Amino acid sequence: MRSPFPTPRPERLATALLATALAVATGACGTDEIALVANAAPDRVIVGPQGAVGQFAVECELSHLAPDDPIVHPGHAGASHLHQFFGSVGVRADSTYEEAASSETTCGQQGDSASYWAPVLLLDARDPVDAIRAVAYYRAGPEVEPTSVEPYPPGMMLVAGDATAVEPQPLSVVAWSCGTGSVREATPPDCTGAASLRMIVTYPDCWNGVTISSTDWADPDARHAVYSEGGRCPASHPVHIPQLQFAVDYPPVPADRLAGLALSSGDIHSGHADFWNTWQQAKLSNEIEVCIHRDLVCNVSS
Amino acid sequence: MTGRIRRAVAIAALAALAVAGCGGDSGADTTETGASDETGQTADTTVADATTSSATDDVPVETAAPTTPPSSSSAGTTAPAAGDDDGVREVPGEYETIQAAVDAADEGDLVLIAPGTYNEAVDVVTNNLTIRGLDRDGVVLDGELELDNGIRVLGASGVAVENLTAQNYTANGVFFTAATGYRASYINTHRTGDYGIYAFDSVTGQIDHAHTVGSKDAGVYIGQCYPCDAVITDVLSEHNGLGYSGTNSGGNLLIVNSTFRNNRAGIVPNSGSYELCYPERETTIAGNLVYSNNQTDTPAIDVALLAQGNGILIAGGVRNTIVKNRVWDHNRTGIGLVPFLEEDPNDDLPTVDEWTVPCAEQKNQAPAAVDGALLWDSQENAVTGNVVSDSREADLAVASAGGDISTFGNCFEGNEFATTAPLELETLAPCEGTGSGDWAAGDLGVARWLAEIDSLPGEVDWKDAPLPELGSHEGMADPATAPARPATDVPMSIDLDAITVPDAPA
Repeated sequence: MRSPFPTPRPERLATALLATALAVATGACGTDEIALVANAAPDRVIVGPQGAVGQFAVECELSHLAPDDPIVHPGHAGASHLHQFFGSVGVRADSTYEEAASSETTCGQQGDSASYWAPVLLLDARDPVDAIRAVAYYRAGPEVEPTSVEPYPPGMMLVAGDATAVEPQPLSVVAWSCGTGSVREATPPDCTGAASLRMIVTYPDCWNGVTISSTDWADPDARHAVYSEGGRCPASHPVHIPQLQFAVDYPPVPADRLAGLALSSGDIHSGHADFWNTWQQAKLSNEIEVCIHRDLVCNVSS
Repeated sequence: MTGRIRRAVAIAALAALAVAGCGGDSGADTTETGASDETGQTADTTVADATTSSATDDVPVETAAPTTPPSSSSAGTTAPAAGDDDGVREVPGEYETIQAAVDAADEGDLVLIAPGTYNEAVDVVTNNLTIRGLDRDGVVLDGELELDNGIRVLGASGVAVENLTAQNYTANGVFFTAATGYRASYINTHRTGDYGIYAFDSVTGQIDHAHTVGSKDAGVYIGQCYPCDAVITDVLSEHNGLGYSGTNSGGNLLIVNSTFRNNRAGIVPNSGSYELCYPERETTIAGNLVYSNNQTDTPAIDVALLAQGNGILIAGGVRNTIVKNRVWDHNRTGIGLVPFLEEDPNDDLPTVDEWTVPCAEQKNQAPAAVDGALLWDSQENAVTGNVVSDSREADLAVASAGGDISTFGNCFEGNEFATTAPLELETLAPCEGTGSGDWAAGDLGVARWLAEIDSLPGEVDWKDAPLPELGSHEGMADPATAPARPATDVPMSIDLDAITVPDAPA
């Protein structure tokens, strides 16, 4: 097998430094403690040709749009900015786990009845751009021992990216690319001629092992899931879970309209995504076992 | 904005105690649906005389007489109790599901499946199994448009799958990943969301006597291997997006004595940095019938939409040999050597020196960061001794999108044809001696194909595409009594010198 750990490139180092700076800058309450932000963003992220490390990937069509967020605003219909939902059909602010897990799915992998959602891309900060599809790539985090990866517990809720950001987030958390190309940027690039303009969000892969959701999404210290660094999870969040990279593909936006792009959550830098594990749990566990533990490419999506 | 500082080690005590309670169900319940239904099959159990060297011999037998399906007890093997030690795992006689039999099997065992419909997605992780249907047309794995793969072989080596049908799977009929030694023989696939038979990152293999119909991507695929050491022979691939696709494969890879017809495009190997082991190279395509690959009511991915109307199309591949095929009736080219434009690359183009780097070695090389598109040109391919006719753009063609095709080292010799692009291609680029003439005359203008996509028929949903029935087929010989034959003797030897241009079907 190809080594899953190529030498970090300069831009990856830059990304890590940027992550550090941003994590310091985006906190809310202000103390003078030294920043140790190993878990605010991945130290690096898996890019490059597929086929190098074990993975399974699921392609999902758009299900629906709704101003709902069953994770951050459960039970409060209309309380969120507009989201586009993929996977489990009909998920709303008040959906239960049982409802979501038993719904039809827009995903090609029928066992994937999980719900995925993300803000809507807006032309001229106003007109929604219809997504072509979304792709969920499940892998072990960089340098993580594949056999240590545990399935998400049923009903687990994860959020990645900062919906309030007005400045670039770490590229290892939120990035834009053309199709599956390896160049990742903080804002949408000109992808004329390419298959898509893609937003990629990388989810935390270390879990506290206790709670399936966070009690206070506004408090970064209260997160039940964080990122690994150098293949290790922090003691506070010791359980390895898959590192989900979630990509939303859009038709390329003409170069002269890139500057007017925004997200329904606000600034174009406010990219984020939510994941609710309402997979068929046995199928999820099987895929993690046979694809990730065995470091096998169970499929590619490009 | 002043930041409250995040601490890397927060609430450590809480979590360290909690590991035991996490992780959900990590059990190995790999059977998605266990039901088997061995009733109601009318199956052709007549075994025709095997002829093994004709490109047409896998065409469905027209005159098969339905007979009573064999029961497992009349199939020539005894029916011992489950868990006996005879190395034969019978489904459903001993095991209710194929998955249960596969899970129970030891290396070298034979899993023997009686006629019936099995709504299963079977995972195989044990080496050297032989998984065999007693009746090629009567043993049907059916994903019912919901399950992903009929049989998925995951890093297990030496696994053979033979004499059965897989249909209605959202991904693949039969799938091998990271296998060393694999074989799929006497397999039918029908209506699959990706491929009929798919070998990825696998080497030392054989796909023979297959009939693949209605795959969204391709009927047959071998990709990400070099050297692949594999043979595809006696296959009929039709009504797929592509008859054959293979990204970044080659090296002792033979596609021979097979038929590719009525696909969007016929045989389409390509290079690309979106997966590993580029470029596509050193594939031998010989003795095939390739015709009427203009089918517009098939499913298709973007590559098939771009390639439609071509018979044999090398898209950015190098050092391939295309010899003694009969190719006719195509809206674009019969045999075309064209570029593959990759707008969103993951690495630089390999240098000529890197064309011979084994896949296993290339995997350890970190890719370069590339900004801008890659143009993979088809180079140093040899097209000889083919009979090509009735191509609406050109029987033989070589083209680029800005590159100097006179420098690519492709050659054409001894073909029967009427038209070429550029003109007089065999004079411009002979395989022996030095060519002469005007490379600019009669340029194919291949970039035009990109612009034409929108004016050509789009894809048809793979779940709904109109497809021919599979029909009845010659099966393997003596499936009930033949011993287990793991894929440790593959690929079969092919005498390339003995291959001649096959006759067109009557």
